[in-house]
Amino acid sequence: MSADSISVNRIREVLLVTVPPEPDDETITMLQEKVLAAMERHNARGLVLDISTVDTLDSFFARTIIETGQMVKLMGGRTVIAGMRTGVAITATQLGLVFGHLLTALDVDRALDLLGES
Amino acid sequence: MPESTAETHVDINSESDIVKVRKTVRDLAAAQGFGPTDVTRIVTAASELARNVFRFAGTGFLQMKQYEEGPRRCLELLFEDQGPGIADIEQAMEPGFTSGGGLGLGLPGAKRLMDELELDSVPGRGTRVTVRKWMNSSQKKGLAA
Repeated sequence: MSADSISVNRIREVLLVTVPPEPDDETITMLQEKVLAAMERHNARGLVLDISTVDTLDSFFARTIIETGQMVKLMGGRTVIAGMRTGVAITATQLGLVFGHLLTALDVDRALDLLGES
Repeated sequence: MPESTAETHVDINSESDIVKVRKTVRDLAAAQGFGPTDVTRIVTAASELARNVFRFAGTGFLQMKQYEEGPRRCLELLFEDQGPGIADIEQAMEPGFTSGGGLGLGLPGAKRLMDELELDSVPGRGTRVTVRKWMNSSQKKGLAA
């Protein structure tokens, strides 16, 4: 899975990023850089991270998502994690992950609603 | 004694081998009959332990065993490296303790996600972590809760 496979799309003032199903550490790190650059370039006010195809959310991946949310917040934006699968939610909780101030939504539609777009 | 054993070996030499470990573990756990949530638990634990091998030792391997004991099926994952080892095992098992700049959830998290975890480490010699997941054990736990 290469970093090229990450697409950052803009819907009005919100960035939508679809996370690939089985990203390696390098892809996850690239994702963060790509998202932050796009935030600045598009003057976006929100970020939706669609993780609906992700089966494995380990602590490295989670830490990068949490950090990205904090960085986006510093840039004046809000981050919504969308589409976390049942098994991933159970596993993340048992693993001890704390997502802090990140907003969550069942799917991308609701995430966009949450950010005031529909 | 185990009645039947199938073994699979995966070398861990690069970051991309962490993805390979996840894929191999996922395929075998699913084929062995674990449900989707247990598969996710097992793969996530494997990802944490494979990353520890790569981050702290650079190289190592995963040895997977599948066996049956009476009516119970077991998936056993052994991660071994010849890295720096762990000086204080109790500290390493504490959630939030990290020497690698991470969240400090790797070992304690893997322990919570699996049924058993054994940690064997000699400073300067290496580390061996064995985790096991028993099929139906989560259902039994659910009934007891």
